[in-house]
Amino acid sequence: MITQRGFVVTFAGVLLLTSGFSFVNFYLVLLGVYLVIGLVVTLPLFALTANLAGIEVDRQIDKVKVFSGDFLRVRVTIRNVSRRHFDFIEVHDQYPETWILAIGENFIASRIEPGSSITFSYILQARMRGRYDIGPTEVIMRDRLGFHYYKRTLKEKTEVLVYPTWKDVRRMEALGKQRQLGLMFGAHRTKTVGMGADFAGFREYVPGDEFRLIDWKTSAKTGDMVIRQYEMEKNIQVICMVDSSGSMGNGYPENTKLEYAIRAAVLLTHIGLERKDLVGTCVFSDIVHGFAPPSTRPNHMYNVLEVLAEAEPKGWSDYETAIQYVVNNTKKRSLFIWMTDLEESPAPLLNAMKTLVANGHKAMVISPFGPWFEAPVGQFGPVEKVLSEAVSEELWERRTKIARALARFGIEVINVGPEDFLPAIIKTYNQAKQKGVAMF
Amino acid sequence: MKVVTWILRIASIVTFSAMAYLVYWLLDSNDIWHWNAPYDFIVTVFRLLSLVIFFLSSTMISGLSSAFAGGDLPNDLVVGLYNTLVLRTWYIQPYGVEGPLVNLQQVWTSFGANMSSVLFALWDNTFLFLYFLCAGLGIALFLQSLSKMNHKSVGGAFLSIQAIIILASFKLLIVPNLDPFPTDFLVFLGDWAQILAIVSFAYLEVSYQMIYSYSVGKPVEDREETLKKQLLALRQATRKQDAIERGERVTSTSMSRSTSVTAFSFLREAIERKVVGTQDALENLDAVSDVRRLQIYVDNLLQTDSKARDELTAKAAAPSSMYIIGSTITGFAIRFLSVVAIAFLLMSPVVLTSLLDLPIGIRASMEILQPEMMLLLFLPVVLLFPFIAMVISWFSKRAEVVKETLTKEDKELEKKRKKDLARRRKEAARARKEREKARRKRRNETETKVDEWDKALEEVYRK
Repeated sequence: MITQRGFVVTFAGVLLLTSGFSFVNFYLVLLGVYLVIGLVVTLPLFALTANLAGIEVDRQIDKVKVFSGDFLRVRVTIRNVSRRHFDFIEVHDQYPETWILAIGENFIASRIEPGSSITFSYILQARMRGRYDIGPTEVIMRDRLGFHYYKRTLKEKTEVLVYPTWKDVRRMEALGKQRQLGLMFGAHRTKTVGMGADFAGFREYVPGDEFRLIDWKTSAKTGDMVIRQYEMEKNIQVICMVDSSGSMGNGYPENTKLEYAIRAAVLLTHIGLERKDLVGTCVFSDIVHGFAPPSTRPNHMYNVLEVLAEAEPKGWSDYETAIQYVVNNTKKRSLFIWMTDLEESPAPLLNAMKTLVANGHKAMVISPFGPWFEAPVGQFGPVEKVLSEAVSEELWERRTKIARALARFGIEVINVGPEDFLPAIIKTYNQAKQKGVAMF
Repeated sequence: MKVVTWILRIASIVTFSAMAYLVYWLLDSNDIWHWNAPYDFIVTVFRLLSLVIFFLSSTMISGLSSAFAGGDLPNDLVVGLYNTLVLRTWYIQPYGVEGPLVNLQQVWTSFGANMSSVLFALWDNTFLFLYFLCAGLGIALFLQSLSKMNHKSVGGAFLSIQAIIILASFKLLIVPNLDPFPTDFLVFLGDWAQILAIVSFAYLEVSYQMIYSYSVGKPVEDREETLKKQLLALRQATRKQDAIERGERVTSTSMSRSTSVTAFSFLREAIERKVVGTQDALENLDAVSDVRRLQIYVDNLLQTDSKARDELTAKAAAPSSMYIIGSTITGFAIRFLSVVAIAFLLMSPVVLTSLLDLPIGIRASMEILQPEMMLLLFLPVVLLFPFIAMVISWFSKRAEVVKETLTKEDKELEKKRKKDLARRRKEAARARKEREKARRKRRNETETKVDEWDKALEEVYRK
């Protein structure tokens, strides 16, 4: 392949040759011949030496699973396994477009001796959750004067799984540290009266109570039969139902409804695990994409992160299929927190809730309201403004109806925007703990 | 590598100077190097313009005044007075016009007589001007090539100097020529035109070698420099954040915003998010923590891995200077000798006639001495080299694009994943159908018994 520089020399050679022919000047012809011959004379030698199959590229990364926003060092080693010199070699290692090159360069140009290797590294910041590939690597070899080149693309890719961001957890922990308060600050342990060892109080005897629980001294004092009550702390079981239908992908990149729902699920799982509660996560659209059953195992957080990392906004929301799947795989009573934008037909949602309640579970819906996640109305022109307001009103009306229908059966719908999504999930969790919803 | 580049830079200066001097010296016999040529050219252009303006204005004024005077041309006295007073005080005295031109006819006659001489003078001066322009452009591009190491500048400098000879050939001046082309190789080598051609070619070769030496060593040097800047910018940004957190007043003495912006894109992003330098910075906790975390990450990396810094700078990739010098000299010599030898063989009529065994009529003809004859051998020889290269490429089985090769396990996993997805979709669809069927059946069977949920749903639709 001829380079741009090679084309310039060819042009100069042809110009001189034609000028020489036109003006019958042997000097110009001779110079033209020099240029053209100079361009092609080393071509066979270059073709003989520039066998790019002799170049091997090896890429190493520190971790194959990182959190969004984390840094990752990529080490690239180029080996010349042939017996020839490569006078000028350029190596471009490609990385995902959304990532940021934090330190170093993903490119090198040098010469490489036979049997030797070159290693360079660079540091990337993984930006968005998902499964990404680092690579391919492009190797370009030029001749010394830069007239010709051969290019080879090495398709070897290194797969990296980027978990959702951990910044919310970090921020919450940082705030906790600032207050110099313990982990359980503000959290109410769920207590159940009846069993256990901690004394909870007295109550009047009712037929059927065990005699051993009667407090004779107090009964004597009051004149009525009184029994002692005990209580024990219990944990709750929560399942996050993350809707990953197409409409959840609306909004600013990195700030879509789905991204917020995922962040909320991560935060909830973390808080739950810290407090020994069982938290599971289900990502669904028209099928169940992933389900991490509630657990308290040490690596449970990573199971949840993997399920969430691969969520993509596509398809439609089939609530019934999702709930059927989760109910079949969950034995204990749970609190289901739905994170859905309620933009699908209400019938499947109501049917799903019916199944859920029939199985003895509790539920609530945290619903991101679409227009709050999209461009501010102030940025629109007059026509777009009117249209967006009309659409917003229509959507609001619709979700009010659904909320009213769900409220009849004790299922609350909380409308959230980008600012209050995460506080809403923490509040919901704390309330559930206080009320003792879905204890196991 | 810097030493090698400097040696080649000096060689480039020497060859360019030699080329430029030879062109100057070989064309000097034409007496074209008049240092006032650019001035003459500009003056001639203005003279031409003044002549045109004078002709047009005189004609227009006479025409306009005749229109107002009922079709009669203005009096000779008026025209003469106008021409003398107005145009002469304009400082654009038309070229060759002397004395007052008293009527329009005289103006037209004068215009016709002077126009051709002005145009001829312009033609001559234009070429003189172009020689200087090409020389100036060539020198400017040559100087640029020394600092920018840009192949376009090198090519431009070369072509600009050669363009002087092309223009001179067009003007049929005495230019370096090899007519008739020498049959003796030694005579050919000693000819001044050949020496100029060799020096010109050497300039191109040396300059491109200089660019190679620069570009093979520079990226590694640049990497090191960039890394230093990046680490410095990062450290200063972190310090600045600490100062803001402590409530200290932050001044931009240590590093200006523009410096940090040029340092690297990551910090630039951070600055765009108003991290560095303002009190509002603390509000953006994420961006602040990003910079700080990067600092911690880099510090850890440099502490735990002793090779980390060298790998980030790719220090080991720097080629050895000695090899570059050696290979430059051998490469230059091989290319130089082969080019001169092949060019002589292609252009010498003796080789042509003996190789091709041409008939006596052609051998004795004048056509054999024409430059176009070299095309008979030139084209096949020139095309032969790429052809050989192509054959070598075929035999060496060069893989330009390596096809993605999935292992058997990978393929199976991918197949399994797809199969599982299809199965789940199918199952979901089947379940949906069954649910729908059951619902329909229930509706038909128990029309009187209204489910509470269905009632709620109906209410939703009704409202």
